[in-house]
Amino acid sequence: MKQSHVIALIMLIIAAVIFISASNDVSSYATFASAQESGSRVKVVGELVKSKEIVYNPSKNPNYFSFYMKDDEGSVKKVVLKEARPQDFELSESIVVTGVFKDNEFAADEILLKCPSKYNKDEITLRKSG
Amino acid sequence: MTEIEYVGEHLLPGRIAQFSLLLSFCSSLFAAFTYLAAARSKDLTTKNNYTQWARRGFYIHAVALLTVIATLFYMMFNHMYEYRYVWEHVSDNLDMKYILAAFWEGQEGSLMLWMFWHLILGTVAVRICGKWESGVMGIVCLMQLVMGVMLLGVHIELGDTVIKLGSNPTLLLRDTMTIPIFNNAEYLSLITGNGLNPLLQNAWNTIHPPITFLGFASLTMPFAYAVSGLWSGEHKECMKESLKWSLFSTGILGSGIIMGSAWAYVALSFGGFWAWDPVENASLVPWLLIVAGLHTNYIAINTGRSIRSTYLFYIFALVLIIYSTFLTRSGVLGDTSAHAFTEMGLESQLIAFVLIFLGIGLISYFVNASSIPKKEEEESIYSREFWMFIGALVLLLSSLIISVSTSLPVFNSLVSYFDPNYIGKVIKDPITHYNKYQLWIALFMAILSASALFMRYRAQSAEYLSKSKFGKHMLFATLGGLALVAAYYSGFPQATWPYQLLLFALGFSMVASLDYILNVVKGNLKLGASALSHFGFSVMILGSLISGLNQHHISTNPFVYKEIFDDEDIKKYVSLIKGKPMFMSNYWVQYESDTLQGLTRTYNISFRKDSDSEEADFYVHPNIVYDQKFTKIAALNPSTKMFLTKDIFTDIAALHPSLQDVKFAKEMEDTMKFDKHYLTPGEPLELEEMEIELLGVNKDPKNKDYEHEKNNFGFEAELKVRDKSNDSISILRPALGLQGSLIYSYPIKSQEMEAVFKIDEEFFNQVYTPESQLNYLQFQLKEGESFRYEGLELKLLGFDRNINHKDYTEEDGDIAIAAMVNVSSNESKELLQPVFIVRGNKSFGLKEVSDLHNIHLRFLSLDPQTNVFNFAVAKEPIKSETLPLLLAENVDRTDYLIFQARVFPGINLFWIGSLLMTLGVFLALYQRNKVG
Repeated sequence: MKQSHVIALIMLIIAAVIFISASNDVSSYATFASAQESGSRVKVVGELVKSKEIVYNPSKNPNYFSFYMKDDEGSVKKVVLKEARPQDFELSESIVVTGVFKDNEFAADEILLKCPSKYNKDEITLRKSG
Repeated sequence: MTEIEYVGEHLLPGRIAQFSLLLSFCSSLFAAFTYLAAARSKDLTTKNNYTQWARRGFYIHAVALLTVIATLFYMMFNHMYEYRYVWEHVSDNLDMKYILAAFWEGQEGSLMLWMFWHLILGTVAVRICGKWESGVMGIVCLMQLVMGVMLLGVHIELGDTVIKLGSNPTLLLRDTMTIPIFNNAEYLSLITGNGLNPLLQNAWNTIHPPITFLGFASLTMPFAYAVSGLWSGEHKECMKESLKWSLFSTGILGSGIIMGSAWAYVALSFGGFWAWDPVENASLVPWLLIVAGLHTNYIAINTGRSIRSTYLFYIFALVLIIYSTFLTRSGVLGDTSAHAFTEMGLESQLIAFVLIFLGIGLISYFVNASSIPKKEEEESIYSREFWMFIGALVLLLSSLIISVSTSLPVFNSLVSYFDPNYIGKVIKDPITHYNKYQLWIALFMAILSASALFMRYRAQSAEYLSKSKFGKHMLFATLGGLALVAAYYSGFPQATWPYQLLLFALGFSMVASLDYILNVVKGNLKLGASALSHFGFSVMILGSLISGLNQHHISTNPFVYKEIFDDEDIKKYVSLIKGKPMFMSNYWVQYESDTLQGLTRTYNISFRKDSDSEEADFYVHPNIVYDQKFTKIAALNPSTKMFLTKDIFTDIAALHPSLQDVKFAKEMEDTMKFDKHYLTPGEPLELEEMEIELLGVNKDPKNKDYEHEKNNFGFEAELKVRDKSNDSISILRPALGLQGSLIYSYPIKSQEMEAVFKIDEEFFNQVYTPESQLNYLQFQLKEGESFRYEGLELKLLGFDRNINHKDYTEEDGDIAIAAMVNVSSNESKELLQPVFIVRGNKSFGLKEVSDLHNIHLRFLSLDPQTNVFNFAVAKEPIKSETLPLLLAENVDRTDYLIFQARVFPGINLFWIGSLLMTLGVFLALYQRNKVG
């Protein structure tokens, strides 16, 4: 066997090992129920429940933000984020939170908002008179 | 419906752009066809003939496309909102320095930027490519053709389905939507544009996209050479030519990527320069491939091997940059990317774009690969090319891992297309995921790139290694690696073992590259260009390792929060109250002031090592930008203080909601609960939290919000307020003003006392008596005579033609006289000067009001014959001296920032390293050009 073939084979094996090991890095979005069951760090996708309270009181604690989110299965849980409230939070169409479910609330350390485009493309801005 | 004649529209530029767009498309079709015909023809005369025609076609295409671009700029400069593209990206208040950024904010604009660079590169290629021109330019023109389709905006109806080809940037706004405003012939005077997204309004967005798109465009050239090389069968010659272009591409695309990360780091609040975001990955992968191709190209030139892999690397580099465009523009990334690109509805067109060039590349390769010479004998493991090739394979592996992970959303949408019940998968922790593997890639790259420098091309045995003191160089490099690990531990906490290994590899590589530059090529950087690049690469990775592993928040103040919250909560953000220094990690940080300019409010925040020093050690200036209507915050821009060994990155995460959005401000105002208190001078009001004393009421408000020009009339109460919590005394001046028939209130908010002080509007009626309620008494006087009224003596001293009355503004032809009336009582006297004016055929008077004697005096008329002056005087009714004060307590203070400060140590190594790497690439290009 040629050396180059040996090398290519080694490379292929490395690549295969990497891809097999990397498959542990991916998962489907969890739901609150499955997060509660597994107790591990997961991503949950859902939408903001606007009728329930959204707490952010920066003058007391700028690193505590909580809200209620409805996941894809329709279950509503409190989500606590130990960070500042993200910009345009209420405009979000969907929310992805990453964290752990404990004590009947979801403790998130990461949040990603999917917001509608900042400018509604079919909305005309009128010039201010005068 | 009848056709409406719209007012103010400029239709000519649109027609010019539309025509040029069509012409540019047709001529690129012509040029591509004739160039490709030239490339395929064996007969020299036919070839030249075709080439002549093709050149003409290309130049027409170039002029036409430049016309489109120039016309669009003209429309944007002149705010022609009748055009949709202008309306989308420009607004009345857009600073013209962002006009370039606005131009390529849209997909159409950025596509044209890419095509613009093809024009430039194409023009250069026509001049320098010689016999390669037809093949290379054929591909360039084909690229222009396929991209041109995306600008056509043609709708093809096939039965019920409408196929939309591209999005045309020259369309009129009213042709793209149906809304009632277009029934108004003068709609244009009513509308303004959407303008550039405030997040994109910075200098980086002017410089980063053109460089990046030049990088994109430059990848067309190695691809074009690869394909032409395969067609012609002159592989060796092709390798000599293509290297220059791939060096250029490596340098430019690399710079573009680095600038992108600099932008993300400095101007956006991503909190770092690299986040393994799909958009970043998508342009990194082609760069890795072009770098791999560059190295195999060197092998090909020096040994005649690796021609096949070079071709494939070049082909895939272009295909993957087109694929990256598909990823970022088709919307397939969904919520996995922080980059909000809008969808243009061109998914299938973008897929076709990828497939066309993948097809051209692969078909050319497989049809012609048999003509590539094969070397029978093995590469020796003692040769440089062997290890360089391994290096290229490592780069390929790296790009493969990144591509597969980044394409997960594509995989998801593919599978769910066939299986609607499929639930998409995501990477749980992208940054950890990518770092975990790329760490090893970087490690191998560092070791390989350094040691291969000391090896020779075509070496067959180990003999030369001992002669060239290979062992000694390697020993030296090993010591360097150990030294770096040791140096790291003197300054930073211990890292995990893979990182320790990486540190060693980086030290090894840095010392070996320097050793090569100094001792092998004796400081001749042109010969040591590769070593310089490799050195830069290692420094760059070192910078990202140090800053990535050791970045930390300093905006934590454990002392403040410890009592209230668990340790877990103490992190990242602090609230910084205006004027109150806060201690965080060796610094006293203070929010000093803020200034508003246009739509931007800039904050001045000081950092002091010593709390008593007058001058701060340094300042940072993060800012916020409001949206066009001034109702909401559109962008929060960070500010970074750079030092030699570290950066301090600061960012405002939030303000009080009432300052973020007028909606909340209104809500806050509506929910304030005011209690009414009556104040009389000399009788302080005792409350639980404070003590309020009315010092007096005056008619000359000094309240800072009160505008004298706007108000006809105003009052101000002077309050002395003592805060019982800290015994401090402040003078507050709430005011009321009359504008026309509306009363405006100018309340005072005390942030310290969390209270709002406001005068009740009823006070206005108490102090201000309308004219109709005054009881005037008329009287006549001659000069020198006096009149007695309610214990006052009013004596006419004379008159004055110089009018000083505060309400008088002179007009042409005015005849105006002020009467000088001396008013005196037993204790006091003053001079009042009511005015009588004849203006045209009207006459009227301006009264004088005396606060001292509580009278209103009017000058009604005069008789020039008899010198009798007619006056009217009225007594101001006696007023109550009580002030109705509205007081709201427990009002949130709003003068604070939610602030974070992070330290990035060693980040300058990242920038210096990337600069050196790029410099090395361009030096190599320079060297290559000289060799010819």
